[in-house]
This record gives sequence, C-alpha cells and structure tokens, in this order.
Amino acid sequence: MSEKKQQVSRRQFLNYTLTGVGGFMAASMLAPMVRFAIDPVLKASTSGEMQPVVDVSEITTDPQRFEWTVKQVDAWYTSDVTHSAWVYKNEKDEIIPLSPICKHLGCTVNWAGNESYPDQFFCPCHDGRYFKDGKNVPDTPPNAPLDLYEFEVKDGTLYLGKPVPREGV
Amino acid sequence: MKRGKGMKFVGDSRVTADKQKFIPKDYSEYPGRTEPFWPNFLLKEWLVGAVFLVGFLCLTVAHPAPLEKIADPTDTAYLPLPDWYFLFLYQLLKYKFASGSFFVLGAIVIPGLAFGALFLAPFLDKGKERRPHKRPIATSLMLLSFIAVFWLTYEAASHVNWEEKAANNKPEWPSEVEIDTSHPGYAAYENSCLQCHGGELEGGPAAPTLIGVEYTAEEIMDIAVNGINSMPADQFQGTEEELQQLAEFIVTVNEEN
Amino acid sequence: MLQKMYDWIDERVDITPLWRDIADHEVPEHVNPAHHFSAFVYCFGGLTFFVTVIQILSGMFLTMYYVPDIENAWRSVYYLQTQVQAGQIVRGMHHWGASVVIVMLFLHTLRVFFQGAYKKPRELNWMVGVLIFFVMLALGLTGYLLPWDNKAYFATVVTLQIAEQVPFIGEMAKTLLNGDPSIVGAQTLARFFAIHVFFLPAALFVLMAVHFIMIRKQGISGPL
Repeated sequence: MSEKKQQVSRRQFLNYTLTGVGGFMAASMLAPMVRFAIDPVLKASTSGEMQPVVDVSEITTDPQRFEWTVKQVDAWYTSDVTHSAWVYKNEKDEIIPLSPICKHLGCTVNWAGNESYPDQFFCPCHDGRYFKDGKNVPDTPPNAPLDLYEFEVKDGTLYLGKPVPREGV
Repeated sequence: MKRGKGMKFVGDSRVTADKQKFIPKDYSEYPGRTEPFWPNFLLKEWLVGAVFLVGFLCLTVAHPAPLEKIADPTDTAYLPLPDWYFLFLYQLLKYKFASGSFFVLGAIVIPGLAFGALFLAPFLDKGKERRPHKRPIATSLMLLSFIAVFWLTYEAASHVNWEEKAANNKPEWPSEVEIDTSHPGYAAYENSCLQCHGGELEGGPAAPTLIGVEYTAEEIMDIAVNGINSMPADQFQGTEEELQQLAEFIVTVNEEN
Repeated sequence: MLQKMYDWIDERVDITPLWRDIADHEVPEHVNPAHHFSAFVYCFGGLTFFVTVIQILSGMFLTMYYVPDIENAWRSVYYLQTQVQAGQIVRGMHHWGASVVIVMLFLHTLRVFFQGAYKKPRELNWMVGVLIFFVMLALGLTGYLLPWDNKAYFATVVTLQIAEQVPFIGEMAKTLLNGDPSIVGAQTLARFFAIHVFFLPAALFVLMAVHFIMIRKQGISGPL
C-alpha cells in the first residue's frame, strides 16, 4: 500500500516538473514574440504637433472649410496626408474649429450641405445633422457633437492640433 | 481489443501487443528497462530542450540578425555569397572541373548524385549489419563526403574578409535626397567628383557616399584638394570660386537631410 | 469542472485512447541520455522539431510587420528590427533558428546514418527524412531573399542562374521561380514569399506528420 502511494506521488512529482519545464520553455519562447506583437499598443502615442492652417483674418462668422497637409510617418511609410476643418468665429469672437468627421459612422459633413437646413452641418450618408456649434441635432443618427480641434493663435495664424471628442447631448 | 489505459504495445511502437501481423523487434531482447513516454521520458527530453533554448536565446540577444543595405542591382562591388549551408556548392562551382563547359557537371550532376545517393541510401546499403565498421563502404563514403563538404565550406569562408564585407554593407535608410542640380556648385561636382561619388552623391565602388557626411565647408575644400584616406590629392580641377561653391553644395545637400 | 468537460467530450468521441497511446508508450532505455550519456545523439531529432516550432512561431509573428514588396520589404524589416520592441530578438530567433535547424538536421541525419537505423523496416522513413532535409534547405534559400538586402538579391540571382543550367527544363524552371524571364524583382519577391510561407511549410507539415507516424508505427531502432 505504502509502495503504491509512493508510486503515485512520484508520478505526480514528475508531472509537475514536466509542466514546469514545459511552461518555462513556452514562456521564454513566446515572451519576446508576444512583446513584439503588442508593441503598437504599448507605444506612447505621439501627440501631433500644432500645424499652421490659415490666417486669422480669413476666418468669418460663416463656417469655412480649410485644409492643411501634414507629413504622416506610418512605421516605414511616409506620406503627405490632408486634414480639413470647418472654422468660424462665434458671436463672442471666439474661433471654433470643428472636425468634419461625422460622429455617426465617419463620413464627412458639409456646412449647409442640404438645402432644407441652410444653417446646419449635414452628413450625406445617413442624413445626420449638427447645429452651427457642432452639437448634434436630436433624432438624427449621430449621438455626439462634432470633435473640436485643439487650437492656438500665433502671430495672426491659426494652428490646429488633434481633434478632441466632446460629451454627447 | 482492450482500449484506454490498459492498452499494451510492442516496445515503443504503435502496434498493439495482441496484433499478430506486423511486430517489430521487442526491446525486451536488449538489456535494460523501458520507461513511459509521459512523464518520465519527456521530462528528460524537455530538460535538454530548456537548456538548449536558454543557449539559443543568449545567441539571439548577443548577435542581432544581420541586415545589409537595401538591394541595389547596380552595386557592382558586391560579392554575392549564399548562406553558410550552401557555401560548399558555391565553392565547388569555382573549380575548373565544375565550371565553364563542365558547369552542368558541377552544379547539377555532382550534387544530384550525392543527394540522390543519400536519398536512396537504404537501397544502396542493403546488408543486415548496422554497426558502422561492419559496413565500411557506406561509412567511408559518408565520412569522405562529410570531409569534402566541410573542407569546401572552410575554403569558401576563409577567402572572404567577413568584417570588411559587413562594414561595407551596413544598413542605412535609402536616401530620398533631392539633388539640386541648379546649384552653382553642382557643375563643379559634375566635373570633379561625380565619376567616383555618383550622380546622386550615393557613392560607388571606389568612393563613399557624400550624404550624411559631417564636414564643414572648409574641411570639404581641404579634402577635395588634398585627398583623404584612399582618396588621392588633386582630384579637384577648377578655380578657387568653384571650389567654394562645391563645398557649399555638399553642405547644403547634407543640411536638407 | 475540467474533469466534467473532459468526460463529456470523451463519452462522445472517445479521446482517451488517442493521448493514452502517446503518453503511455514505453520508451527504451538506450535512447535516454539520463542512463548513458552517449544517448544524447538521440536528442537531435527532437531538437530539430523544437527549433522547427520556434521557426513557425517566430515566422508567424514576423509577418505581422513584414511586407513582401520590393519598395517596402527592406524598410519593414529595418523598422521591425530597430523600432519595434523585441523585434531584434524575434528576427534573431528566426534568422539563427534557420541555421540551427540545419545543424540539428545534419547531426540527426549523421546519427541515423552511422547507426544504420535506416535499414529494414525503416527505409521509407529515411526517405521522408531526406525529403524534410531538402524542404528545409529550400526554406532557407527562399527565406533569405525576403529581407531584400544586397545579400538577398545577389544570392538569389546566382541561385536562379544555377536553376537555368538544368538541362531541358532549366529555362522554364527559372521563369517559374522568378516570375519573369529576366527581371529579378517584384514578382520574384512575391513568389518566394508565397513559397516560403505557404507551399514549403505545407509540404513540411505533411512530411513531418508522416515521419512521426512512421516512428510510432515502427518504434525506435534498437541499440547497436
């Protein structure tokens, strides 16, 4: 009886050691590979620099679309990418730079894009609408206001950074 | 047939003990014991594997995988070499009896015969005897080809200056520099430097690239006149003003980078 | 819980004999380095398999960054090696593993040869083994074109010229490998990538499966 008990515990011991050694091999083999694969997740996102967009004097109280080009480095591929923004001055003379990306499914919105709504942003894809300040019109597909760009004015030129999402209504 | 845990096999084969048709030799005729594959045998196997893995990982950390310059079909100075396990073939093709009109012999017939013989070894060496010294022909042929392959590989490798080859082929990001050919210094560059340093300052077999150099304009003027390292003196032909423009041109190209 | 899940499956597909057969078969003492140190020569086959597993895994991970395109192949390799954490180690594993696997295969072949272990009834398994050797060499050959550096390019040009010299079918073979009768370029790289990543591994898996099944059928050859 005691001998049999001995046998079982020896087999168990071997099993544990075997699993341990196997685990060590699997871990040391996979650790660098997994670290390699998840690198994009762990890389600190580089906050885009502020880019000069337009002379402040050109900005009116009506939203206008301005475009600017940035050099985008996508790992080993560098290319020029064009971004755009709807920019206007409100009653308090503050500059409002809105992202043209619809919060519904990512189409591009246009100011007065639909004749029935001359003072709203309109998204042609699913008839999403936004008021002039970027707030989404209730009961249209989007459920959040348009993103607002980070911005600063230096030497009479408007610089834009990254679009920042805002709270929904 | 009994299934599950109680299954009995002949030796370590997959043939069950109560099957009569094909029974390989049972190990019971040899002295010593057997042990179960799991966990006894596998544990020893994996211990060897773990030690091997540690050594292997140390190798990968200590020696990063080499990467040379991006492929440049116009690089005439490059000495093409295969990976080490093909070096013996590479060396074989250097010999007279295996090149020129005998190329097919060296590149196809000899390796074909050798590998064909290896593939068909069980049918060429049909005797029952397994001990190496009891089958001298097979053993000596194998030893001979082993020595030949080893020697050919050594011969091929010993004629190459590996360090210099690696140093000449350091990976560098391919330049996307635009050469401003309207710069006044470009004409002087065209006259005196282009032949060796290339139309886009990319360098060539005899001269390094001029992109990424960190010399000042004065130093460049000095090198153009007096030479440096393997570059002989008096390469520059032209007036003092052209020399000045040339140096400015090279500096501008590097500043744009 | 686990036991119950196991029982549920076992009741339906009877999986116990499958792994019992692998786990419980008796391995003879003469291949065990713990008994006689000289038995370490029996480890080379297992180590070859182990390095093959490393190659498959590291290769799978490398394709997360690598692109087989003459404009970007070198750039992506350079990027993954210098900019991605652990990229140097993963590429190193694949690069050095390719050499180590050849060494291990070579030693395994020598062991089997000098022990005469390829004799009846194991002739077929020897031939499958030699085919695995060829597939490995072909994997090495197609693999070193992929980074598209100078070494890759010029070594491949030479290889293709050798292929061209084969009597009768040479020219066709070269064009088939190259993708173009004369240019070693975009099509060559795409082809070598497909061969290296899909065709040869598929052949390798089949051959290895046959190799292992035959080992289990026939058992390890006895001691000398």
